[in-house]
Amino acid sequence: MRLGESAKLQSAINITPLVDVVLVLLIIFMVMAPEMRKGPDVNLPNTVKPNEQGDERGRILVSIDDSGRLYINDQQVAAEQFGDALRAAVGTDTDPKVVLRADARLNFQQVKETMIAIEEAGFSGVGLIANRAGAPGQ
Amino acid sequence: MQLNRGELGSELNSEINITPLVDVVLVLLIIFMVVVPLLMQGYNVDIPRASAGAAPSQAIETQLVLSIEPTACSILEPPAGDGLPADCRVTLNDEKVPATELSARVAQALSDRPAEQRVLFLAADDRLNYEGVLRVIDLASSGVEDLKIEFVAAQ
Repeated sequence: MRLGESAKLQSAINITPLVDVVLVLLIIFMVMAPEMRKGPDVNLPNTVKPNEQGDERGRILVSIDDSGRLYINDQQVAAEQFGDALRAAVGTDTDPKVVLRADARLNFQQVKETMIAIEEAGFSGVGLIANRAGAPGQ
Repeated sequence: MQLNRGELGSELNSEINITPLVDVVLVLLIIFMVVVPLLMQGYNVDIPRASAGAAPSQAIETQLVLSIEPTACSILEPPAGDGLPADCRVTLNDEKVPATELSARVAQALSDRPAEQRVLFLAADDRLNYEGVLRVIDLASSGVEDLKIEFVAAQ
């Protein structure tokens, strides 16, 4: 009886270390996920019901910070070189989509000028990125 | 002996095997953790090229034009809270409309049109705050599915 009992006790795998490791991995991903985001920190406008704009991978991210500086993905560009830099950012993508992350404190004029520059670089349509009100944003 | 076997059987069944459950839940959790922060939300808009005299996508008579004037809607500074100022009024085809009714009015004007003709032409003053303009877009588009928004020059 004793022998049988001890064999039974060993038959179950101890999952506690597995769960420990996976939870640590999870915490690492939780901490790293905001760092993986492309582009500079921008205070995005808060709106109630923004539509899905998909994954930021595969999109060209144009950002305007609160002092009006332009960024393409992570790189700051001068306004005069914006069109060329934007076309260069397309690379081999056959259906490039541009999204615009503009700071909430900007004037509409600054955003409009950038939208016109994006259209003149040969893209039709821009996604204006907003933050859903109440959701944790950056 | 039979009693013993019964005891043994009930002992084996007493614990639910949670390992597959934990596995699946953790994998799902990791997938969501990685994907969700990379998703973006916003509004698709179009702005016709100023050069080349781009023709508007609709005849003038059928256009639904929404104008935002800083005199009628004071959003020169970022609006407080999550909405627009309570006294904000916008102009929809030459008619003054309180911002609170905007969603219903746009839906009323466009919902019986075919999807490709649901276009809202937006004339926003240059001095307005960007967040305010985006909140007007949010209100206008909330009542209609697949609404296209096209910016036009403010009068």
